[in-house]
Amino acid sequence: MPLPDKREFLYKILVIGELGAGKTSIIKRYVHQFFSPHYRATIGVDFALKVINWDQETIIRLQLWDIAGQERFGNMTRVYYKEAVGAFIVFDVTRAATFDAVLKWKQDLDAKVTLPDGNSIPCVLLANKCDQPKEGIANNQNKIDEFVKENNFSGWFETSAKDNINIDDAAKMLVQKILENDKVQANGNSRPTSEPMFSLSKDQDTKSRKNCAC
Amino acid sequence: MSKSVPVSDKSGDCEIKQSQRKESETIQPPTVSISLADTDSVLDFAPKDDDEGSGSEFSSSRVGDNEGSEISTVPDKYGFLGGQQYKAYPDNKKLDPRTISQLLNRERKWLDMLRSWDLYMSKNYKKVRTRCRKGIPRKVRPKAWLFLCGGNLLMTSHEPGTYAEFLSREGDPKYLADIQKDIDRQFFHEMFLSRDSNSTVGGEEEKPPPGKQALVNILKAYSVVNPVVGYCQAQAPIAAFLLMHMPEEHAFWCLYSICDKYLRGYYSPGMEMIQLDGDILFNLLKKVSPHIHRLLTKQQVDPIMYMTEWFLCAFVRTLPWETLLRVWDMFLCE
Repeated sequence: MPLPDKREFLYKILVIGELGAGKTSIIKRYVHQFFSPHYRATIGVDFALKVINWDQETIIRLQLWDIAGQERFGNMTRVYYKEAVGAFIVFDVTRAATFDAVLKWKQDLDAKVTLPDGNSIPCVLLANKCDQPKEGIANNQNKIDEFVKENNFSGWFETSAKDNINIDDAAKMLVQKILENDKVQANGNSRPTSEPMFSLSKDQDTKSRKNCAC
Repeated sequence: MSKSVPVSDKSGDCEIKQSQRKESETIQPPTVSISLADTDSVLDFAPKDDDEGSGSEFSSSRVGDNEGSEISTVPDKYGFLGGQQYKAYPDNKKLDPRTISQLLNRERKWLDMLRSWDLYMSKNYKKVRTRCRKGIPRKVRPKAWLFLCGGNLLMTSHEPGTYAEFLSREGDPKYLADIQKDIDRQFFHEMFLSRDSNSTVGGEEEKPPPGKQALVNILKAYSVVNPVVGYCQAQAPIAAFLLMHMPEEHAFWCLYSICDKYLRGYYSPGMEMIQLDGDILFNLLKKVSPHIHRLLTKQQVDPIMYMTEWFLCAFVRTLPWETLLRVWDMFLCE
């Protein structure tokens, strides 16, 4: 059966949050279906690519940017955030302090990156390590619901990288939001959806390969 | 031993090797022994048995000599589990005896040099540099590094109890919490791993692996000495790497020197120096490899996207182990 022309999208997604919240673990689980308690602390930034067969004619590539959690790397985040179209903010339900920092991360994100129309990029909150005993606000779902609404998150999920809980669903929600935004952008600016906004698109890649002497 | 190749000029070569092998076997253990104050590490020059490989630099730990040690419970000669290091570097092949005598010679030269270190550094630094570039022999490396980076100078210029005093001070709880979070995620190395499943004796509380407390200690001590910098996550791999080579107090003074002299400004809260060095690297790249530079510019790949970890950790998490050791020999010297 001949396949219909497939549309391909590449989206840059940020994964941010406090040190040791489990950002790397979530990415490894999502991309490699694997968990280890011994991931090295991320220094600077790491990358991973997740390919999703979204529907019959759509392939979505998520370029996940795993960003160091320690505060002092914050000075470099402007470069890391550039042209992202979605984000996860991760906190650790066993340490209330990591939730207290969520707002700081959200504000940092909104201050440094926006969609072309000036709106903030879609962001999903992940309450990670939900397989373990919770501390503080993590016990109160209503409060988190409120918090998420107030602070303009697209939604939130309890996740566990260890037990593989909700990570796929959270990603689905984020992609859904990104696709919606894409359509809005396309209608508003008459920008064709098939031409993404960032520089690592497929044809540009092949073009540059021609120029490269290596 | 090297394969006997039936080519005439090679066989001549072989004879030389044979005679040198004899020489190396009859070498008397020199009377010197390196005294690294609180380790009992004593240089052992004499080949232990007829196997010419065993006296070499590369086989002080016989455990790792298992061909392809895939069993994860057996560490390789550097103490790593998993055998990956081994497969990548098949150096467990027998060594050329000529190399052995060369290695022994180098060790002896290094010991001489370390004995009159100040003199060499002030009058004949070039010699030190040349020898570092050739690679510091494994057995003298810990002491050589301590001397090279000025850690020894720092240590001896402070009162003997200084390090213990740093440790006894109260650290910033924020830094201590960050350090604690990072302790379990350094190297996959036996000195930092708990042996939980393997050897629990009669329900007794498992002792933490020896490296862990030392790692906490030296990172804490540094954050106490230099509270402005405090603790940066990138310091932990460097600290762990040092601890794999030397006792805790030595590692601390080396870390101190590296953070404050070699990589000054890298770990401070603003982290401006690393960004500056990223730009410098990028400009060097323009000179050395303009087309790569052009490609990266076009794709908007900023240097801090790829060089942050390389530089902040002084390549400790980046290079293959053997390469890393050689790079550090030069890094600390130059």
